[in-house]
Amino acid sequence: MAALTKINRAGAQTRKDKRLGLLLMLPVIIVIFGVMGYPFLNAIWLSFTDKVVGGEANFTGWDNYIALIHDDIYWLSLKNTIIYTVGCIAAKLLLGLLLAVLLNKSIKGKTFFRTALLIPWAIPGMVAATTWRWMYDSTYGIINSLLISTGLTTTGIPWLSDTHLTLFSTMIVNVWRGIPFFMFSILGALQTLDKQQFEAACVDGAGSFKQFWYITLPAISSVIGITTLLSTIWTFNDFENVWLITGGGPVYSSSTIPTYTYVKAFTENNLSGAISVAVSVIPILIILIIIYARANKKSS
Amino acid sequence: MVMKKKKRITSGIITYGILIIALIWTIFPVYWMIKSSFTVSNEMYVARPKLFSLHYTLENYIELFTETHFPRALLNSVEIAGITTVICLVISILGSYAMTRLNFPGRRFFRISSIFSYLIPTAVMFVPMYVFVSNLGFYDNKYSLLIIYPTTVVPYCCYMLMSYFEAIPTALEEAALIDGCTRLKALWHIIIPIALPGIAVVATFAFTMSWNEYLYAMIMTTSTDQQTAVVAINSFKYADSAIWGRIMAASVATSLPVTLIYIIAQSQLVGGKSDGSVK
Repeated sequence: MAALTKINRAGAQTRKDKRLGLLLMLPVIIVIFGVMGYPFLNAIWLSFTDKVVGGEANFTGWDNYIALIHDDIYWLSLKNTIIYTVGCIAAKLLLGLLLAVLLNKSIKGKTFFRTALLIPWAIPGMVAATTWRWMYDSTYGIINSLLISTGLTTTGIPWLSDTHLTLFSTMIVNVWRGIPFFMFSILGALQTLDKQQFEAACVDGAGSFKQFWYITLPAISSVIGITTLLSTIWTFNDFENVWLITGGGPVYSSSTIPTYTYVKAFTENNLSGAISVAVSVIPILIILIIIYARANKKSS
Repeated sequence: MVMKKKKRITSGIITYGILIIALIWTIFPVYWMIKSSFTVSNEMYVARPKLFSLHYTLENYIELFTETHFPRALLNSVEIAGITTVICLVISILGSYAMTRLNFPGRRFFRISSIFSYLIPTAVMFVPMYVFVSNLGFYDNKYSLLIIYPTTVVPYCCYMLMSYFEAIPTALEEAALIDGCTRLKALWHIIIPIALPGIAVVATFAFTMSWNEYLYAMIMTTSTDQQTAVVAINSFKYADSAIWGRIMAASVATSLPVTLIYIIAQSQLVGGKSDGSVK
């Protein structure tokens, strides 16, 4: 009898939990599926219409996407975005890994270096981009001034006007700001490693490079994988950095998918065209997210 | 033995050499931002600027805070980031508690979707969101950001809070529940006090995320009294010229509070982690 009431009570408790669980989840559900999900689905519909700012949306089928296929600036922006993402990620990963390994050694002034090297990640991205824009300035910029006084160039480098260089100039800033994210994620992983393994390897006579390659790297590979994928998604979609430094120009030389989306929406007032640009890269993002999900599952 | 010592010294030199180069590369833009903010304009606009100024001045800051709309923008940032943080924490604490402690239908699905929605980037969402929020009647209104920011901040907070909540042993709560305590009371009296340090860290990150956000703040506000600080900085740039002294002063003023908060919060995280591993 006592056992029965216990079961009944437990049943009542689970029923209560079910109701309470849904109730507590309701705000999260509204945020994710209402405020985010609805505009997202609406956007996919709008990309099949001729919606402009302030205008009605009329169904036009695949017109926006067909227009994209014939749009040279779209392909240039896609190419730039891929160069930007791959180049920045490679640089951030290598430099972040190097610094993490150095900071994991027992050295003097560790806390100082760790705090100082975090600063680029801590300041607002908008401020970082603006400051670099000022340093790149063709007339009053400090970078060219320093290069000229060291005699490396005589006329200065046209960071913001040479169409072969503008994308690279924006990439430097993304790398500058993004290294600490890699450094800290990898450092966190390094600190959880088992010291005894290294002592054993040391006794076996493994050199420090061998140790790193055969013991350290495999042990932190899942953290590196997740960090890289997260950063890839952010870098692929980095708007403010490119926009505030070059505006995607001159003549679209540094245009990326996010800045081209913006230009289409707010300069050309072509909302449906802009949305189709953004929607066109969703397959790439889905692939990245699936890889992320797999990596995440493996690590946990 | 001597060889070994020599090797150690060389590796020490290389380590410090690389770290010092990294330090200069990291700090220099920050130095240049601060230096420019204190420089008088006739030293600023010269063809070959010097590394150090001869005369320092507070002029840029005084102008910024007395003659422009920047103080208003700073207050807007405090207001928007503050309210966003509070809303998102309440929503996320309740949701994370449900997702870690309560069995309800669809729990796994919601856990996964709350994490993945964090990965959907602003660059894809900003035009659809602009259409959506404009249709709701918010145009050139800073409060529209209170609708938009939770879509990125809530998934982040849930992700972090779920891991904190999962680390708290369920035994504590079960004892209280058997004594007739309700779930919500258990959350309030047991879970939240234990997770408080973690919640504080999540709150600071939520605050900095909202404070730093640029793209939405730029497209959703146009008049100067609605702008947040990061948008106001860019309003001192005009088509053909920019008031760089003022822009850099505004950049310093905008960065200082969040940078300090961020570094303190981050050191809490790193400190906490390493304490655990250093037996």
